[in-house]
Amino acid sequence: MKDPYETLGVAKTATPEEIKKAYLRLAKKLHPDLNPGDKHTEDKFKEVSSANDFLSDPEKRRRYDAGEIDAAGVEKPQHRFYKDYAGASGQAYESQSAYADFADRDNFFADLLRRRAHEARRARGADQHYRLEVDFLEAVNGAKKEIALPQGGRLDVTIPAGIETGQILRLKGKGGPSPGEGEAGDAFIEIFVRPHHFFSRHGDDIRLDLPITLVEAALGAEVKAPTPSGHVLLKIPKGSNTGTVLRLKSKGVLRGGRWGDELVRLQVMMPTQPEPELEAFLSSWRPANRYDPRREME
Amino acid sequence: MREPEFLQLVRLDQATLTIWIEEAWLAPHERDGERIFEEIDVARARLILDLQQNMGVNDPGVGVILHLLDQVHGLRSALGELLGTIHEEDAADRDQ
Repeated sequence: MKDPYETLGVAKTATPEEIKKAYLRLAKKLHPDLNPGDKHTEDKFKEVSSANDFLSDPEKRRRYDAGEIDAAGVEKPQHRFYKDYAGASGQAYESQSAYADFADRDNFFADLLRRRAHEARRARGADQHYRLEVDFLEAVNGAKKEIALPQGGRLDVTIPAGIETGQILRLKGKGGPSPGEGEAGDAFIEIFVRPHHFFSRHGDDIRLDLPITLVEAALGAEVKAPTPSGHVLLKIPKGSNTGTVLRLKSKGVLRGGRWGDELVRLQVMMPTQPEPELEAFLSSWRPANRYDPRREME
Repeated sequence: MREPEFLQLVRLDQATLTIWIEEAWLAPHERDGERIFEEIDVARARLILDLQQNMGVNDPGVGVILHLLDQVHGLRSALGELLGTIHEEDAADRDQ
């Protein structure tokens, strides 16, 4: 960062009026919008602007003069100038009046002009980007959602079944309008799927931990198990264990005409309240076969 | 963005905006009878304020400068396109 006095070309003793005058003189010469093709001038202009901001602030100037702060860190946030937008094709302000007369004399130019006018008319509208959160089950089963647009109005979005976080839906022609008679831009919608409190998804399979009672595990049972499309009856084989995985065919995610499965992992739960009868039975129980679940660890 | 948002962002009052639009200094597009402002309109409004407030340009001067700038940008993009066409033909010649 240069010395702001040097940048503005004023003495350390300059009055605020002298500083302002020096700044205005330089700014007139260096303003980027009056020098649209010159990057160097733009940098210089920013330097001059921040030097002026710096020295117009009496407190900053006093501290700088006293050597308390240096000239760094006073740059304004990135400022975009008109010229940064003015180069876009089809923008409303561009004028051909400076060279339109060439077309009368030169076929090549007439051609160029016709093509430019044609392109400007046909220029597409801008694409617009949105982010949409959907529930886990909406993502699995598909859903219809609405997005409220910042410029007013609503956008209907059909969520196809089986969508995943990070996928982007493209709605053709739902973006910004064309400045001329061209097509509207597209709307791009990035999907974020909220997690579910008991389902999880792995590819096209749904996984679920299903708690069962000791009795259901030991004797077998038919229990109600949730799936994304509602409850189904699940047959628990006699003697099931925690960790046993049962497959519910085609109860997973439908994608590309194929269904995934739901994988139900059983979790045997002990009763949460004291059970004197069970305790009494277990203390007198002598297993008929060797029963050592940790034998493989020895 | 819509008009109230635009006015707040560039710190402009409605009466001034009306004059600017009448003078064709600004040309926001319209949708459903409402003015819609893009980033280019914001940048252009800031340029106008820069001209008036920091450079001491008076109103007729602003009109002249904008008109010349629009021509400069028109020329710049025509020149850019011309160069593109020349390079294409150049490349085509070399390929033969």
